[in-house]
Amino acid sequence: MKSPSLLPKLTLAAALITSVVTAQAADWKYYASQPVGTKMKVDGTSTVHDWTIETSLVGGAMELPPGFPMDPSVASIPEVKETPKVKILIPVRRLASGKQAMDNVMQQAMNAESEPMIQFNLTELKPNNEGRKAGDPLSFNTKGKLTVSGKTKEIDLPVTFHPQDDGKLKVSGETKVKMSDFGIDPPAPKVALGLIKTGDEVKVSFDWLTAPK
Amino acid sequence: MHVRDFQTMNDADKLNGLNRRSFIAAGSAAASFAMAGAVELKAQDAENKYDAKASPPVNVGVIGCGPRGRDAIAAMAVLPNAPVVAVCDTYGAYLRRGKKAAPNAAGYEDYKQLLADKKVQAVVVATPTHQHRQIVIDALEAGKHVYCEAPIAHTIEDARAIAQAAKKAYKQHFQVGLQNRSDPQRSFLLEFIRVNAMGTNAMARAQWHKKQSWRRDSPIASRREEINWRLDPKLSLGLIGEIGIHQLDAVNWTYDEPPKAVTGFSSIRFWKDGRKVGDTIQAVFEYADGLNYAYDATLANSFDAEYEMFYGSDSAIMIRGSKAWMFKEVDSPLLGWEVYARKDQFYEETGITLIANATQIKDQGGDAEDKARRAVEESQLYLSLGSFVNNSHKHLSSVEDYITLFGGDTGLEDYLVAELNGKKEAFGSYIDGYNATVCAIKANEAVAGNKKINFSKEWFAI
Repeated sequence: MKSPSLLPKLTLAAALITSVVTAQAADWKYYASQPVGTKMKVDGTSTVHDWTIETSLVGGAMELPPGFPMDPSVASIPEVKETPKVKILIPVRRLASGKQAMDNVMQQAMNAESEPMIQFNLTELKPNNEGRKAGDPLSFNTKGKLTVSGKTKEIDLPVTFHPQDDGKLKVSGETKVKMSDFGIDPPAPKVALGLIKTGDEVKVSFDWLTAPK
Repeated sequence: MHVRDFQTMNDADKLNGLNRRSFIAAGSAAASFAMAGAVELKAQDAENKYDAKASPPVNVGVIGCGPRGRDAIAAMAVLPNAPVVAVCDTYGAYLRRGKKAAPNAAGYEDYKQLLADKKVQAVVVATPTHQHRQIVIDALEAGKHVYCEAPIAHTIEDARAIAQAAKKAYKQHFQVGLQNRSDPQRSFLLEFIRVNAMGTNAMARAQWHKKQSWRRDSPIASRREEINWRLDPKLSLGLIGEIGIHQLDAVNWTYDEPPKAVTGFSSIRFWKDGRKVGDTIQAVFEYADGLNYAYDATLANSFDAEYEMFYGSDSAIMIRGSKAWMFKEVDSPLLGWEVYARKDQFYEETGITLIANATQIKDQGGDAEDKARRAVEESQLYLSLGSFVNNSHKHLSSVEDYITLFGGDTGLEDYLVAELNGKKEAFGSYIDGYNATVCAIKANEAVAGNKKINFSKEWFAI
């Protein structure tokens, strides 16, 4: 089994991150993904047991337009006039369940060798003021293009923004996606007990830590 | 019934369409196919298009093509993700044998050329012990992941140099050939012993008996000296160090501490060929609270080969390689599950089999090729090298992904410490290797000197 070098493809991704920055005007605020403090989880099911895969290595960056709401004490979040630029990169081979055999099956099912990065690009962001009280976390309904295993699909992703005391910015979110939407056959590996069939729908949740550059 | 079984049947059997072995092994549908004279095609395993065992491959170079190096090459030939792309030995005949075992590998006489080979991502160092130091340090310097056979060195100074180099090379995976540490059966037994399933630990004992000379021959005098390093008192750690290190490490691991003292005995009882390194040795290691471990090894007799025993007030545990048995005392409490466990009779003692993965019923059938492959797959060396390759890939891919996302290695070491530790498959680390080697070196000093040595804490500082 040949292992193509992933480096050329991945460094291209790195170049894409920096392109987020140069496109924007000077008064936009740039936040870079932090190497420590991020957690992303995928929770799934199967005929035998529930499973979870996680990673803490998330890259990318976001740029917020001037006047982007950062004060959770407001009773109503104002409209955001310009869509923030957000690009998130997640190396597939860092997703781990703690069981090597399951990780191997998952990596192969996701074509990790040829499609090493999960990508998310924000396309739309609107404040979510439904049921809001002053002091609630800043809540937004977003849409974005999610690319997994080389296939791209637009998804709805509700998020909350949590400005930290030290100037960092944490973004949390959760959504459900189907493996089959991205051309991934839910794996059905054979084990001693018989056949495990993985559930198609999974829950993706994350806490993404960024810091101003 | 497999196609191959059908083809190995003799003519008479083919006429009958029946072969007793395959009849028993096959299901009824297959048997009726056989009776009809048809060859059943093996059903395409649609569900099994993923290989759960294979993490992506890591190219390996083997330095040292003596018997040990060739065992490693044979094990890696069966692993799905450990292609041997280079082999090295200074001795032409060994290099030739290494290349025969790994036909696709490039052959080098100088290990530095192997290290310069860009295809090589990881190396297995299987040279004589006293040659490890420079090779390992150079390999780490060259950016390779390193598997270093145990003992890692023959002096504490060399062992320390290797451990410090491994610590510094945080971007690479370093693993020591302490095979027990990668054997899931051993981890299982460790927990079993530590939860006091045996009652109070009274003592431990181990042995290694194999009738063999250790003296190797060669028509060339200089070569003769080189291959008999094990009989050179200046270079060899003797039976206790070169062989006993694995068993000593198993006891240290179980007790979770190094010994406080060791008393050794060495004699030349049988191989009286002018050698100075003992062919028969005994040693007693002292641990806390009067808990002792007695060890004996000999090249003069083979009876009962190799095993470790832990004696407790409720039961004794016997471990042979990956296999283990529990022998209960008559007055020990009933655990319950032992009623259903498999038992083996040892003279007047009944041993209850202890198996890590009791639900996995291993396929025992097959032809000579299957049996040979299984023998390798069940060996500790195979498990150890398998974990080395998987761990190396996990390490190198973590480094690659981090640098890709964050542009450089700032914060990389902290990230690796936080994320890799505990996520790798169980293995002997540079710290485990250093500690075990220090114990082996001092144990050999005690044995060779027929004396007692008290262990000093400062020897274990890296």
